Parts: sequence; C-alpha cells; structure tokens
Amino acid sequence: VNETEISRRGFLNALGVAGLLSLGCEIGCGGVRASVIRRADQTGDLSPNAFVTVKKDGRVQVAIDKAEFGQGVATMYSTLVAEELDVPFDRIDFHFADSLPEYRTSLNIQLTGGSSSTREGYLPLRLAAASAREMLVVAAAGEWGALPSDCKTDAGFVIHEPTKRKLGYGSLTIKAAHQPIPEKPKLKAPSQFKLIGKQGKRVDLRQKVDGSARFGIDVVIPNMVRAYVIHGPVFGAQAKSVRADVAKKMRGIIDVFAFPGGVAIVAEKYWQARAAAPFVDIAWDDGEVEGLDTETMRKAVRAYSDDGDSVRNDGNADKAITHSTAKITAIYEGPFLAHAPMEPQNCTALVTGNKVEIWAPCQAPSLVQSYVAHALGISDDDVLVHTTLMGGAFGRRILADFAVQAAHIAKRIQRPVQMIWTRESDMTQGFYRPQLTAKMRGGVTADGRVAGVAIHSIGQSILLDSASAVPAAIPGVPRGIQSVITSSLKALIASDTITDMFTTEGISDTVYAIENFDVSVTPINTNLPVASWRSVGHSFNGFVMESTIDELAHAAKIDPLEFRRRTLPSSSRAHRVLDAVAALAKWGARTPGIGRGIARHESFETEVAEIADVEIVNGRIKVRRVFVAVDCGTVVNPDIVRAQVEGAIIFGLSAALDQEITLTNGVVMQKNFDAYPPLRMHESPEITVQIIASEKPPTGIGEPALPPIGPAVANAIFELTGIRLRRLPLQRAWNEAHA
Amino acid sequence: MKLQINEKFLEIDAPEDTPLLWILREEAGLTGTKFGCGRALCGACTVHVNGDPKRSCVLAVGDCVGKKITTIEGLPAPDGTLHPVQEAWIAENVPQCGYCQSGQIMSATALLAKRRAPTDAEIDAVMSANICRCGTYPRIRAAIHRAAQTMRDQEQAHETPQVPADSAK
Repeated sequence: VNETEISRRGFLNALGVAGLLSLGCEIGCGGVRASVIRRADQTGDLSPNAFVTVKKDGRVQVAIDKAEFGQGVATMYSTLVAEELDVPFDRIDFHFADSLPEYRTSLNIQLTGGSSSTREGYLPLRLAAASAREMLVVAAAGEWGALPSDCKTDAGFVIHEPTKRKLGYGSLTIKAAHQPIPEKPKLKAPSQFKLIGKQGKRVDLRQKVDGSARFGIDVVIPNMVRAYVIHGPVFGAQAKSVRADVAKKMRGIIDVFAFPGGVAIVAEKYWQARAAAPFVDIAWDDGEVEGLDTETMRKAVRAYSDDGDSVRNDGNADKAITHSTAKITAIYEGPFLAHAPMEPQNCTALVTGNKVEIWAPCQAPSLVQSYVAHALGISDDDVLVHTTLMGGAFGRRILADFAVQAAHIAKRIQRPVQMIWTRESDMTQGFYRPQLTAKMRGGVTADGRVAGVAIHSIGQSILLDSASAVPAAIPGVPRGIQSVITSSLKALIASDTITDMFTTEGISDTVYAIENFDVSVTPINTNLPVASWRSVGHSFNGFVMESTIDELAHAAKIDPLEFRRRTLPSSSRAHRVLDAVAALAKWGARTPGIGRGIARHESFETEVAEIADVEIVNGRIKVRRVFVAVDCGTVVNPDIVRAQVEGAIIFGLSAALDQEITLTNGVVMQKNFDAYPPLRMHESPEITVQIIASEKPPTGIGEPALPPIGPAVANAIFELTGIRLRRLPLQRAWNEAHA
Repeated sequence: MKLQINEKFLEIDAPEDTPLLWILREEAGLTGTKFGCGRALCGACTVHVNGDPKRSCVLAVGDCVGKKITTIEGLPAPDGTLHPVQEAWIAENVPQCGYCQSGQIMSATALLAKRRAPTDAEIDAVMSANICRCGTYPRIRAAIHRAAQTMRDQEQAHETPQVPADSAK
C-alpha cells in the first residue's frame, strides 16, 4: 500500500458520512456539494468537510474528533490545518466534536487510543484543510478572471502573483462554497512546511494555567443536581438493601437509591450528598469477584507448565536451548495496575424521554453511546455525547461504565445529574491492566549469540474483555445481532480460536532476529475486568523482552549494548536508535555507585531506546537520569513529542517502582494515592530526549516511551548489585530480596 | 458565614465542617480548584489561606472565616495580567492534561513568596506534595526557576532608585 492509497482511504474515512457521500458523488450525486452551498448561504462560512470551517471573519474553526488529555491533539490538528490552509496559527479556533457518525474515524469508532492521534489525523486533517484552500483559490481566481494556477496563498490571503492583488479568506467563503470540492487536494511537500516540525506552543496553555479550562467535573448545566456514588467493597457488588431514612431528611438531599452498579445519593449540591454518605447503611451482595486473591492467583500461575497455545514457533527453541552453552530460566511477573488519572471518573447526564445527552471526559464517545443505549434499552442515535477536556485518561476512559452509571441515575432523577466518583471508587472499580506472568527459557551459544528463546505468557485477555466493543464498531448492526456477535466472539477467544494479541504483543512480533524462538500463551480469567493501560500489552512485555535479552547478554558475558546490536537486524531502525541513545548517554562511561541499564522496544510503530542511571540509597531505588532516543517518524510538534516521552517515562516509573493493585478475598487493597503512589517530583529523574530525524509518516508517541523504562531500571540494578529483579513493582522485589 | 475569596466577600450557608473545596467549586463557582483525592494526598485542591498553601479538600470551611482565601482565579492581576509563575508555566510549556496545574501553581507561588531563589531541594520539599500523572515535573521545576528569576528581576527594577525627571531644575 503506498502513501497515496493510504491518504485516499484516510481522507474518505475522516470525512465520514460526508466522505462516503463524496464517494457516492463519483457515481453521480451532488448531496455534499449542495449541503456545503446551503450552509454557506445560511451562515456565510465555508465548511467543505466535517473538520474545517473557514468563517466569514477569516478565522478557522477546527473540529477535533479526538479527546484531549494532554497528548496535545488540539495543538497537533490546529497545526496541520494552519499549515495546509496557510493561515496564521493564532487564527485557528477549535472545539471537540460531538458523537456524530462523521467522526467515527478509528475502525468506525470515535476513539482516542493506541497512540493514534497524530498517526490517524496527519493526512486527513491536512487534506481537509488543503481542500478548503483550493476552493478559496478557485473562488478568488474567479473574482479576478485569473487562472488559479497564477494564485498562491499566504497568511489567510489568496494572492494573484502576476498582479499582487490579494483577497482575504473571509471575503471568499461563500463563493468558495460554490466551487466543486476537490477530489485530490494537493498537499505541501515537507520542504514547504512552515509549522509542521517547527510549531512549539500549545493552543490551550492559558486556560490551563488560569483555572478556566473546563474539565468533565467542571460541567454545569442549568437545573443540574449532583450525585455521590457508593460502590460495594467487592467489584460488581449490588446493594441488597439500602437504609437511608436519616440521610434522606438531610439538607439538599433529593433521593438515595440503589442502581445497577452502586448506591446513589443525589442532592442539589455535591457537598450535601457527600455529607449524607455516612448516614446511608447498605447491605451488599457478594459481588462478581468474591474470593479473588492476587497472591493465590500468582502462586497458581507460577506452577503452570511451560506449554501454552503456540503464537510463534521459529526453528527449534527447545533443542537450541538444550544445546546452548549457558542457559537461563526466569519467571517475570507484573501486577494489576490502575490508571488513576488525576480527575476521578465523572459524568453529567440528562435523560429526557427516550433521548439521552451526556457530557463526559471520555476517550470513546461512540462507545459511550452504544453502552448507554444498551443499558437504557434505546437506540445509539438517541444518545448524544459531548466530549469534555479530561484530567488524564491512560486508557481508563475508553470504558463507558461511569457514563452508564450516570445515565441510570439521571433516568431516575429526570434532571441533569453530575455524578462524581470518589478517588476510592476510581481506584477500586476495576478495568485494570491485567496481572501478567511470562515464563522464559533461553540460552546462548559459545560465540556469544542467542541460541534460542521460549516465552510462555500467561494472563487475562484484554481482547476478551473488549469484545463487547467490537459489534458497536460495525455500522448498522441491529442490537439483537450485536449481542450474538459479542457472545460468539467471546466464545472464539475463550476457546483460543482467536488469540489475544495483547498478551504477547511486543514479544511475538519482536524485531530481534532470534532463529529459534517459541512464543506461547495461556489465557486465564477472572471476573475482574481488565482494560488497556498506557501501552497495553507492551507495558509488561517490554519488561519481559528486555530483561530476557539482558539476562542472555550477561550469560554470554557480552556488553548488553553490543549483545542487542548483534541480535538486531544490522540495518534496522532499532539498531540506529540504540546507537543514538548509546552516544547520547556515553554508554561506556560509568560513575561509581551508579548502575546503568539499557533497554529498547518498539510499540505503536515507534522505536524507543532508553538508558537509565540508577542508585540505591538506604534501600530505595533512585533513578537519577534517563537518556532517550526516539524515532516516531515525521514530527509535527517536537516539544509535544518530548513532553510525551517525559510523561510516559514518569508514568511508567511509577508503575515499575511502586505501584500494584492487589486483591484479598475480592477486595482491592489500594484505595488512594498513599497506597498506590505515583512518582513525585523529588524522585523524578532528569530526562534527556533525542528525536531521530525522519521523513516517514508520523507514528505513535503517547505510549512508546513507557515499555523500555522498567527493564532499563531493572537492568541497571543488575549491573549495580548483581541482583536480577524479575517481578514488578521493582521496589517490592528489592525489599523481598533483602528481607 | 462570610468568606473572603480573591478579595471578594461571599456569604455562604453551609455546615462548618464542609470542605472548603466544594464551597469554592459549588458556591463560589470557582472550578479552577480541583478535586483529586479527598485526603490531602495529591495537592490538586491547593489554595492559599492567608498566603499559606492549604489542601482545600480537607480544610473545614468554618476554619477559613476571617482569613484571606486565594484560588487560581485570584492569582492574575485585576487587569488579567498573569502572575509570573503562570507566565513561566506557559513559557516552559508545562501543562499536558492540565488538571493538577492549578494546585501546582498555587504551591509554587506560595513557595516563591517565601523563597526568592529556591534550590532544587527546596522546590522538591514543597512540590512533592503535588502529584502530576502526566509527568510534567521536569518542566514544573524549570518553570519555578524561571519565575523566580523573573520575580527577582522585577523586584530589582522596582528597587533601583529612579532619578526624578525634574531633578535637574
């Protein structure tokens, strides 16, 4: 598939319904053009597609179909449009697109995930802007009786080059709307870019430093009431009985009732609902995960055999390992992890008859539509979702559980309801990164090369838990059929007919050239739902793969950098990125008392290599410095790339060092930031980032810097102390090794 | 109960043990102060009470009567000019999701009011009370140093004796 084909498909996809209609136009209809003309005649604005509107005052409105949670998509898309439309960056305004069909641009879902914002928007947003630009040019040429080819655009003007006459975009919108919508708008060559790769400022800084940015929790709707929710001690617990006589008489309280998922206390003000909570007595049923104990689960999995369902089987790993000169066997383990975004889950909902309106900090508005519709027994089209700014997401807000709860409460109350979870609910209500285990056997040859590796991954299937989202992605499937598809899909996954790629991603598709390589998987199940967590399967598999390679390097008595170089294909991108980080950090240099670890990993099409400098002070693992080299293709905004790398490393370090969700008899033991500690400033390392120049299309950046950090730190600890930590979080493993 | 918030007085009717956070958000309409943990663990709700940084999620509103409360909305000058700390946050491109940043900025301004040239260790001691899940810490540190410099420069410009224009007469 060449770039033109991708761009064509991407364009049509991004234009959504309008795009599909344009496709129809090729076989003879004029629906889209007519609506563009109609809209211009009514408003004076040029809206040739769902993403770009050139207003009659010359300002440009960009619809952002993705959710903004700090990854900078609003800035990125504004930049792409300003670039191709040739308007000054400060003339761009943006809004977040509602849950309309034309914005279902990710596999027919309106979804922000998988480090896709720039990857998916890079061509469509530029094409959408270039299309408007060409229409403006043709309109101006018409005014002058000139040839469009004699015109250029700059800073919001069309300029007739031979005569230097110029017209502002704002004066051309209506005439432009009457021009044919270009089928294949011409894009700038990278050498012509004025903003892409250079633009450094974000579009939303002022509102985020003066307190005026409106997040989901800040939504205020006229006549709105607030709901405080009490969830059961065990995931999935439903209230058997609720005694709230005292609470119901308290000031401001409107209602106290059980709903599917918990008990709601609804009041005029949140502080009133909150104050009433201690006066509500609830008897809970046993929930869905009664008895679940993560330590028991861990021990059971450790006793599993080495054989799972084959995912990859190259050469003969067993034989190669048997005949190798030095062998390693290891069990790598990672815990359940909560996302714990700074803004606790919340949602504002209004149910009027069969219609629902939702204001939500959510990553997947079209999934919110589907789940809310399903819960209330209405059609998807009857649910309209407004996506708000959100205080972090990390995969948690792909789920729609919180929106469904808000809709249940709003249906009963018949007024707009803002439901706000406590931090404790946010942390204990499931949808975790699964607890994962990988059993590894490996060996090296006498000449210091990998002889063979066998990895058996054991864990809960993220795919299985996501299966119900799949039919929602297929357009026009009736609800009854959707549930049939979901259950069939679940059966196929459960019976291993469809393999969950997430459990072994980053292992089975590694770029390392390992001749004898065996990868297998054994799915396990609990009723505790799991979900995507920043970098999904890679979040653990980077640790598995890069610990494995490091262990083999030491077994072969070869420098870990050199061992990676000789195991990677010689002309690969991974090779170049590894060399870049080694040069950046001066890999050969060492400081007494500081261990250095190296790790690399590819995820979301991006290659990242990291070197961590680690010290141990009074038993505490301290990461002092991290050097990073990253190849993420074309860079739209270098500063945002750096920010995402820094952020992914700090988020990843929090998990690698300290965080874990454990359950004892079905109860989550970590309820707030004291027991689930994120890294704080005093332990935040100095991070140096080098971006590798590339003219390839942009690849992911929100997640790929996370997988290498855990293994880089573990490998540094091994160099420093000779102790190989194979269990996450590392601080716990260290403490246990020294108990 | 009468509260003084951002130089304005507000009469509120709520139990004294209500956390200040929710009074600010729901009664004063000042939603820049954020709810993060409810237990003074994350700092997202940090405001100034008589100039000291306080976690408003655990501070009873009754204890704030007669004291000056400042929120993120009260930080800019009356003409909208941002505080040097806010300007530094923009210059260093600090915010990602932005949710914790009101609290971060309130902690930082309280620090800089007391320490004109804080060391990294002094910054750590104060700022480690504020969690950022996006991982903006390196930029926050840079922004605090930048703001400290700006504030010192402004002070110096202020203190430099001005020769009156008519002194030659």
